[in-house]
Amino acid sequence: MSYVLVVAEVRRGIFEERNLDSIGLCALLGKDAILLIPEGDYGMNEQLVNGLVRVKTEEALFLNPLNMVNILEKVMAARGKPDMIVFTNSASGIELASYAAGHFNLPVITDVNGYDKERGIFFKSYYSDKIFGEFRPSGEGTFIITVRSGSFKENAAGKGSAPPAEAIEDVAANAARTFVEYVEEEKTDVDITKAEFLLSLGRGIGNKDEIPDYEELAGLLKAVISGSRPVIDKLWLPKARQVGTSGKTVKPKVYLAMGISGAFQHIAGMKDSSCIIAVNKDPEAPIFQYAHYGIIADIHKVRDALKGILKG
Amino acid sequence: MNLIVFTKRVPATQEEELRITGEGKAVDLSKVPFKVNDWDNYSIEEAVRIVEKSGGAVTAVSIGDAESDEVLRRSIAMGAKDGFLIETGDVLHDPNARATLMQNFLKKENVPFDAIFTGVQSEDDQFGAVGGILAAKLGLPFVSMVIGIDATESDHLIVRRELEGGLQERVKVMLPCVVSIQTGINEPRYVSIMGVRKASKVERKVFKAAGYQENVVNKIEVVKWVYPPKKAGATILSGELDGMCKELLGILKEKGVYQ
Repeated sequence: MSYVLVVAEVRRGIFEERNLDSIGLCALLGKDAILLIPEGDYGMNEQLVNGLVRVKTEEALFLNPLNMVNILEKVMAARGKPDMIVFTNSASGIELASYAAGHFNLPVITDVNGYDKERGIFFKSYYSDKIFGEFRPSGEGTFIITVRSGSFKENAAGKGSAPPAEAIEDVAANAARTFVEYVEEEKTDVDITKAEFLLSLGRGIGNKDEIPDYEELAGLLKAVISGSRPVIDKLWLPKARQVGTSGKTVKPKVYLAMGISGAFQHIAGMKDSSCIIAVNKDPEAPIFQYAHYGIIADIHKVRDALKGILKG
Repeated sequence: MNLIVFTKRVPATQEEELRITGEGKAVDLSKVPFKVNDWDNYSIEEAVRIVEKSGGAVTAVSIGDAESDEVLRRSIAMGAKDGFLIETGDVLHDPNARATLMQNFLKKENVPFDAIFTGVQSEDDQFGAVGGILAAKLGLPFVSMVIGIDATESDHLIVRRELEGGLQERVKVMLPCVVSIQTGINEPRYVSIMGVRKASKVERKVFKAAGYQENVVNKIEVVKWVYPPKKAGATILSGELDGMCKELLGILKEKGVYQ
């Protein structure tokens, strides 16, 4: 029986919403989705899938790529090889998918954001989302996909009945890599998720010395400063100010993005803002696709002009 | 500790307009400047910091054409002892092909290592899969998205992985292993033109990729390159700078965030 194996991403008892994109892709392909998930109450809608394989193991063991390949071996021994194995395109999803691809010598396409059913083609972003590549496996047989969050979830639909469940037991824990603990981010006094108006800075600001001038602008506008990953990586702004998948998800009334090109991981963290205004000198910057208003100009000149008017 | 770090020369496409040519056959990068992959820059820095503290050596390895020597010189300027170029004109879009080439090279040249560092992903293809495939092929433990190395012991590392929403996971991984490094793990040192010039006096070895082709096959194929579908997009303000800024302030007032 042909099927797609969907490896669930679960973390601290939560069934991550991006799993719906993996399930949605199966629906789009017209294939049975069999969900691989650790045993436990994850409170998900099981009717979205055609079957479940519950693994009798702890979550942390399940999320370890060294153990996942053993689990996959057991699944394939019991059910036969799937047409495709789908993971989320997340910190753990890509880690598991790439290790499994190497272990089983399987083709892998990561960060898939679209599928053309007629041509059997997967779309994958390249060059900071400015180009998409149309990819497909070269040969027949099982292949591995990771799915970009938000790409296919609308295709996931209930089947109207509870799916059959199987169990996998006796999963050996590989001692070469072991979970120690979770580390939470330090609490700070500024919570950018509470701000109504964010002035968000990106790589385009050029260097750290420009920050005080933007802080002055934020003060005049009564906006809170946030930033994209490159600005945080370079330590120009503290980690608590980061917007994006590895930082905070924000939904302010106004998100004013200056010098942010709009990497997918950033967009995912701010796309639900009520009003997005982007200022960037590159008219091709992906952020203009998501913004409501745009100014194509040198951001420092816009900053200085705004300050001039506000100080009027 | 002996560390091998893979580093890649990539097109800096952030602020470039990219053109697809030959009806989807290629992306024209001829006018785009090239640079070291951001993730690899952090990897080299992290590796150099480890050997500066506890001894050993860093070997930087790059797969690419002769121009990739640039990122090896840069690595040496940062503190790597050796620079190896696996020279090929092939682009290697498939992470399986790239990882297999790496595996063959490491095996045949018998390069000693306690750990292999790769960047989490490269800026151009954004696959993020090479480190994991390589680890599995070498039968080594693997950790990706590493945002901190808390301890380097004789037989293991304690590392922190970056998850979503500010959460991190601390993991113990036995040596030898493959670690994929995330940006922001450190503050890479500044590399001066003088430094690179000095590094160019250190010999870099060139190995022809043709010698390591066993099982290097493309398991996936690029059918075509296309532009992303356009969404409705932003209303672009136009006119003089001052006028645009006044219009922007008008929008802020309308949205109720500025009086």
